[in-house]
Amino acid sequence: MSRTYRYIVIAVGAVCLYFLVRLLFFTDLTTRNVPSDVFQGILVGAGLALVTAQLYGRTKVKKINGWTTAIGAGASDSGMFLRAANSWAFPGPIAVAEEATYWRTGSDGAGHTLNGSHRYVLHFPPGQLPPTDAFWSLTMGDGQNRYVPNPLDRYHVGNHSGLVPNTDGSVDIYLQSSAPLGHEANWLPAPAGDFILWLRVYIPGAAILDGTYAVPPVTKVDGS
Amino acid sequence: MTLQIGYVHLIIVGAFVVAAWLLATYLSPRLMLLPYKRGILNQGIENGPIPVNTLYVQSAELFVNPFTALPAGSSKLLSYGTNRDTLYVVGWVDLSKGPQVLTVPDMGGRYYSVQLTDPSKNTNFSYVGTRTTGSAAGTYLITGPGWTGQVPSGMRQISSPNGAVLVAGRVFVQDYADAPAAYGMAAQVTLAPLAG
Repeated sequence: MSRTYRYIVIAVGAVCLYFLVRLLFFTDLTTRNVPSDVFQGILVGAGLALVTAQLYGRTKVKKINGWTTAIGAGASDSGMFLRAANSWAFPGPIAVAEEATYWRTGSDGAGHTLNGSHRYVLHFPPGQLPPTDAFWSLTMGDGQNRYVPNPLDRYHVGNHSGLVPNTDGSVDIYLQSSAPLGHEANWLPAPAGDFILWLRVYIPGAAILDGTYAVPPVTKVDGS
Repeated sequence: MTLQIGYVHLIIVGAFVVAAWLLATYLSPRLMLLPYKRGILNQGIENGPIPVNTLYVQSAELFVNPFTALPAGSSKLLSYGTNRDTLYVVGWVDLSKGPQVLTVPDMGGRYYSVQLTDPSKNTNFSYVGTRTTGSAAGTYLITGPGWTGQVPSGMRQISSPNGAVLVAGRVFVQDYADAPAAYGMAAQVTLAPLAG
């Protein structure tokens, strides 16, 4: 959720709460009239719907090592409140988890915003690449989720992009704006400013669907 | 007496708050998908509006160069949620005048999925594709609520809970060089009315 959006939701919630508290404790109710009862009731109810969808969505989001993913998005058995929460979190026809599971992050494992002025590594320990029956990919966008041109014309890497494993079988993906010498195959070029990452696993393996697979954190490696 | 009148106002406000809260929650998925409906039927993405019961396939050119300028008035649907994995196949289906036949080619092992979404709830009631139906060619009869006709032989029925269906297909692209081949496969995912 973007910061602006969060502030809007908080403001709507505050206004609704203010209205209800004032109505219950600080209003001479006899001065009210029915048209404004109806009008204000509808506005406050709609505002509360927005706020409760966000709150409920937050309880359904699973967070691991800075990555977030939603549970139950798009599933036909999801209830009314979950459907509302998902529709605000993902405005669009999102795939069910069995078809494709998405994680998103805008921060490293320590919680700091990802920014191209730093160098980062996403390290998959041996045997810990995302389990999949199709393919997986790691895609980069800027802070507004847009591609930023780079010399390689490369905006994602994955199990089909020719990543070179380390001698111990682990895989490092280099997230930085300048080329990592000797590791160009594993380089996902970062823009100058803030950026976000999507990890997508199509037809994810059982360890993802049962929640036991942990996406590793993005680690800042330039110390500063 | 004045006290009672006051409480009547409280009850009216409370009733409308609860009713609006439930209704807005219930309608949220539908409202949030309206831009998609408009984007498909009124705006289109590369070549103008996408007529109802037809499928738009993202071009290889747009996939290879995501910075391609779209025609004025086009929907920006595909520029949100950066995805370099698949070509999109998108369409809006209306089943009120009868079922639609969804045809998919033999994908030769290429990953794909055709997602059928109920736009009133933004939930997916069925998938055709690698995971659910395999890689072989097939024809599927998408039928609306209450349809009682005969399913032609060789077709598999998919019952939609809603008279409208949002179709979102995804066809794997290995790399830039593979985009034209992926497009060739994706373009063979088609919709047609049931003959007769």
